[in-house]
Amino acid sequence: MAIALLRRLAGAAPVPVFAAIGTGMRAAADDLFLDRRLTRANSIRHARILLVAGPVREADQDDIHRLHDQMLHPRATLWWKANAGPDFAEPTTWDEDDPVAALEAIHRALIDGTRDSEPDTLPNEPPNPWRGKGDYGQGGEGMMGGTPYGRPMAMTDDDLRDGLALDAYTAPFGPFLPMLPPGLKLSVTLQGDVIQTAELLRPPFPQAKSADGTVHALRALARFLPILGLDAHAVRCLDAARFLSAGTPIELTKIRQLLRWSGALAAIPPGIGVIEGADVRIRVERWLAALDESQPGTFEDSATTSPLKSARLVDLLRGREWSEAILIANSFDTETMIALAPVEAEDAEADDRDIEDENRMDHEGHGAGHPPEAHAHGAPGA
Amino acid sequence: MGLIDLAFLALSAIAIVSGWRVFATDSMVRASFLLLLSFTAVGLIILMLAAPYIGIATIFMMAVEMMVMALFMVMFMMNPAGLNPMMMVHQNRFAIGAGVVAFLGLSAAVLTTDFPTDPVDPGRQVIRDLGLEMLGPSMLIFETAGVTLLAAMVGAVVLSARTGRFGPSDAGSRPPGLEVGGEPAGRRVEKASGHGHHHMHGSHGGNEDVEHAERHPDADGHDADGGESGRRPPLRSDWSVGERTMPLKTEAPS
Amino acid sequence: MTQVLATLVLPLVLLGGIALAAVLDRAVPALVAGRSLKASFVGPITVASSWAVAQTGGTEHPDKVNWILAPILYFTLAAIGLSVVPFAPGVVAADLDSGIVLWGACESLTVVAVFLHGWSANSPLPLIGAYRYVAIGLPAMLLSMFVLIAAALPAQSLAVTDIVEAQRSVWNIVRQPAGFVLFLMLGLSLSLRGPFDYADPYDLVGGTTAEISGTARLTWWLARLAMLVSVSAMTATVFLGGYLGPVLPGFVWLVLKTSLVLVVLVCAGEVFARLPPDRMMNLIWLALLPLSFLMLVAVGVELLLWG
Repeated sequence: MAIALLRRLAGAAPVPVFAAIGTGMRAAADDLFLDRRLTRANSIRHARILLVAGPVREADQDDIHRLHDQMLHPRATLWWKANAGPDFAEPTTWDEDDPVAALEAIHRALIDGTRDSEPDTLPNEPPNPWRGKGDYGQGGEGMMGGTPYGRPMAMTDDDLRDGLALDAYTAPFGPFLPMLPPGLKLSVTLQGDVIQTAELLRPPFPQAKSADGTVHALRALARFLPILGLDAHAVRCLDAARFLSAGTPIELTKIRQLLRWSGALAAIPPGIGVIEGADVRIRVERWLAALDESQPGTFEDSATTSPLKSARLVDLLRGREWSEAILIANSFDTETMIALAPVEAEDAEADDRDIEDENRMDHEGHGAGHPPEAHAHGAPGA
Repeated sequence: MGLIDLAFLALSAIAIVSGWRVFATDSMVRASFLLLLSFTAVGLIILMLAAPYIGIATIFMMAVEMMVMALFMVMFMMNPAGLNPMMMVHQNRFAIGAGVVAFLGLSAAVLTTDFPTDPVDPGRQVIRDLGLEMLGPSMLIFETAGVTLLAAMVGAVVLSARTGRFGPSDAGSRPPGLEVGGEPAGRRVEKASGHGHHHMHGSHGGNEDVEHAERHPDADGHDADGGESGRRPPLRSDWSVGERTMPLKTEAPS
Repeated sequence: MTQVLATLVLPLVLLGGIALAAVLDRAVPALVAGRSLKASFVGPITVASSWAVAQTGGTEHPDKVNWILAPILYFTLAAIGLSVVPFAPGVVAADLDSGIVLWGACESLTVVAVFLHGWSANSPLPLIGAYRYVAIGLPAMLLSMFVLIAAALPAQSLAVTDIVEAQRSVWNIVRQPAGFVLFLMLGLSLSLRGPFDYADPYDLVGGTTAEISGTARLTWWLARLAMLVSVSAMTATVFLGGYLGPVLPGFVWLVLKTSLVLVVLVCAGEVFARLPPDRMMNLIWLALLPLSFLMLVAVGVELLLWG
């Protein structure tokens, strides 16, 4: 009785959707969440439906499997103009422009129970058989040998800044982390929240860029501001961008005022992510200047006019604290990003396999977690 | 057996049991917070002794201290969650022996002493009396302790600050020479080895080194630097905003 | 008798405050984003039900005890903090001589609760959220202690009831206006909100809440709102005179003032940008702590001269 009431109320809630964005669909996905019937889940575990928007690479299918299995029941996947991998039996696809109705229908069906929750796609095995071996059952020789739970033991390593031995943690992050450009996969060694080294595993997907300078600036700000905690301002920017690209002229003074009052520029540390003399603050100032209608048509992105030599994203991120690194990663537009993340093809593949063999922790959504039925990727080697 | 006695027995039991669990648990973080639980129980007993300020202040201070301790466990110790079932204690036989002897000695002292019965008048303003005592007859002790703590804080900040006496401390600052342009005076800085302190349990055969190296190809990045004494280009944090330059990979320490 | 009354009223105040805060949490962002306020009332209920029917997540080898304990501890600390606030002259659930020290103990244990919540998930992003919060929460707590001591000076007592009575002449917000602003910042920090939300931010995909779902997420959300209510009530009591006021009964004044502070906190949480932790730490240690010392000295001097 109470459960039925709860289910009815839950069905009326906005649908929590996790968007795994592929090639060229970033703007469409951002606009999708302006609809109040959907809510964007930043963590896969907060989502009920996994929306794969746009075509993804072959190598990303494995990450989608892992994302999918981390979603909690009842769950479903919707492939929006995307290529579903072979392991998904009967994938639900949608190739029109507006999947909101489809998402709502799936959500209601899941809550009512008329649609079954999707089963796991990865096998359910412990990652590393270890119990019973060794002196303490840790699966190896001596006191520290073996890898219980498939994880190497937490050990310390010298910090970059001053050689103090602190805990070092290496894991791949991406390719569908909401605060990184879609498609970007990095293997990051963290000490605390400071990035010691970052290694590029996969470059970001190319996205469409708006020709209108103001619309481009608004969309870039809408991706940037949530990192500073200004979600409502980001929604305002996206609304404005949508109106402007539909041709309706609107006033941008309110947005500029709100952004000035929020202290967003002052919050950004100076001197981070410097490319050709422009740091993150200067790039954000350029976006804000593009919003100023009294200076029409002066928008130019100088980063794309001159070729970037020997500037790499991983160098910019080294030694940065996590927040600053995310600010840096979101301050570039897609072409600059791809230029900063060149892939040395064979090395990337080899590293990929090595990393996945060594660390069985993958963080497309976030943490090392797998649901209680512990999953492993039924992956190469053991 | 009034309510007060029951409360005292319950709190004492909590304090002792959680104190024992501190040593019986593998997880460092859990050990810190079990110690906090033990101190909280003691703080509540002090409340019952009509010292409300001291009791609550004990809980307050211990919460902060155990929090910092837990953080240090995660930062500096291997295996902070106890997930690797290794032996986390050393010399445990000696420690157990010492603990038992101390317990027996203290119990004997407590049981053979004649404690006075001096119940505090409930209407007495203990906090006011405490304040007057701290700034009256006991002022010298507390002010000295305060200044000593301040000196320790200043010393800690000076030791850990990046601005060394003769230059940035992470570039190995050395004092200027006795003649202009001459040899720097003072002790020559030896090549620091970054490896020795890794293995706090170094006496366990060669296997661990090999396995450690295999498992941490990323974490052992400094191996690739070879001759460099494990030091990489110094990185700035937000402290030195004024003199900030972009940290390039080619920038080599002198 | 009055203690029993206060203990009975306390859960009602807490629940009423949580409801108000949940509605404001939807209405204020909608206002800032320029969208309609429709569904601000129904929104929290449907979202909470949506969480209640979801499965609770798990990770590999989490610290199960602490994972369940942390939200419960957080909520309990909010309730304990609210128990030292006098609802009317003489009506207070915990009539302690050292009320603000108990409040300080609740603050420091809040830091412990949030750390445990992030630590228990055995996952990197929640853990980063946890110790980032510790790095900011500890100095923020120090700040609040100096501000509260400056509030206790005119009352010559550590009891919250005496602090309220001492405001009959002039409210503490007039004595130390900067202290009021600093205490509001602490309020944001304790309830993990807006510019001080270092534990559950977007750049850590939800930080300590990244791995939880279902009832665990519901409990954490309720605990955060409860702490917001508790800190609003404390601010209203210590700075705005609590139940003091001319015509209406004391309890009504307290509720009005608490609601006002609640609105201010929710708005501040939506409007201001969050500094990266490094920068915020610089700000707190180098600017705000000295400011709180100054406030303490100012109040002391004022009392000495015009006492």
